[in-house]
Amino acid sequence: MADIDQGVSSEHERRRRFEAIVDEVFEPLQRYLRRRVGPADAEDALADVLMTIWRRIEDAPSPPTLPWCYGIARRTLANQRRGRERHLRLVRRIEAQPAPEPGHDPAEAGPDPELSLALDQLGDEDREVLRLWAWEQLEPREIAPVLDISVNAATLRLSRAKKRLAKAMAGQSAPSSGHRQVEGTQESR
Amino acid sequence: MTDEMRERLSRLDPMHSGVPVEPATSESSRQLLEGIMSTPTKERAGEKPANRRTWVIGVAAVAALVLAVAAGLNLAGEGGGEPLALNAPADDPMAICIAFSPEQLAATAELAFEGTVTAVDGDTVTLSVDQWYLGGDDTTEVVLNAPQGMEALIGGIPFEVGSQYLISAQDGTVNYCGFSGPATPELRSGFEAAFSG
Repeated sequence: MADIDQGVSSEHERRRRFEAIVDEVFEPLQRYLRRRVGPADAEDALADVLMTIWRRIEDAPSPPTLPWCYGIARRTLANQRRGRERHLRLVRRIEAQPAPEPGHDPAEAGPDPELSLALDQLGDEDREVLRLWAWEQLEPREIAPVLDISVNAATLRLSRAKKRLAKAMAGQSAPSSGHRQVEGTQESR
Repeated sequence: MTDEMRERLSRLDPMHSGVPVEPATSESSRQLLEGIMSTPTKERAGEKPANRRTWVIGVAAVAALVLAVAAGLNLAGEGGGEPLALNAPADDPMAICIAFSPEQLAATAELAFEGTVTAVDGDTVTLSVDQWYLGGDDTTEVVLNAPQGMEALIGGIPFEVGSQYLISAQDGTVNYCGFSGPATPELRSGFEAAFSG
């Protein structure tokens, strides 16, 4: 662990170090955020993440710094989400409106609807670890600091998520899984 | 099979490398970065950086203080003579400020009150509750504990005996990021607007 405590004491050094980190993470961070939230939220979150990096520059690990920054981004988005959810709950309470039906969001016909759908069926935790692996292209040892878990836990979580994804895919292609389908067939006859 | 799956998943990436993002060297990026780098980094706060739009980059400005409530937040429900204790954990430097608005305050706060500081003693501040805006029941006294020293943890809010403060808390945390502070007419009207319903 390269220690930088001493150097960072000067403002100049702090700026230099921040600029170096920004060079490494500015674009990947934008992608990370835009993969998870809309453009406006991503923009807000980016500013917050960068500010946190600036504030915590003494804690920054030696390069690669990106996984550490993704960890900050993850917590930033979680905060943003919590605020948003509370706000929505309040608005709904005020307007006495029922929450919109969850999950009726027919997977936009993307390049691989079958996989999109399977991904949608997974829990948040599984989905996130798979995204980190396939989109951010992180290995478990890099996923660990993002999720604030041990490397072993990250390895395990990834492997479980992969299995569940495979299962969800298999479930789609195996029509026999639906109890409902059987009933539907009976009714239609 | 695993590589194949990774490859297949990566094709779903909405932000693959072909999608352009803002370079760090663009004018707006530089503005953002300069704003951040001109933010004081020690927890003396008060100042806000030259930020864009609505984000209160006060994260830094206010030392990003999320203070965890001590001993569980049963305070919200319990009233009586027991003072309400709010604590500051040693290591939670991660906190993000959201821009202040009455709506945001109403949406996030689970406890909110106005109180007068009756004692500042090293690393604790005692407030006598003047008015609960939200929660609190009949709790009349709140103690803020900051084990690492108030100056580092109260986000630049100078607690002075006899002065009034507006404090909001959520999820077992006290939010100092602009959602708590000296009871200025402005902040008070924000609290009133948030909890008038």
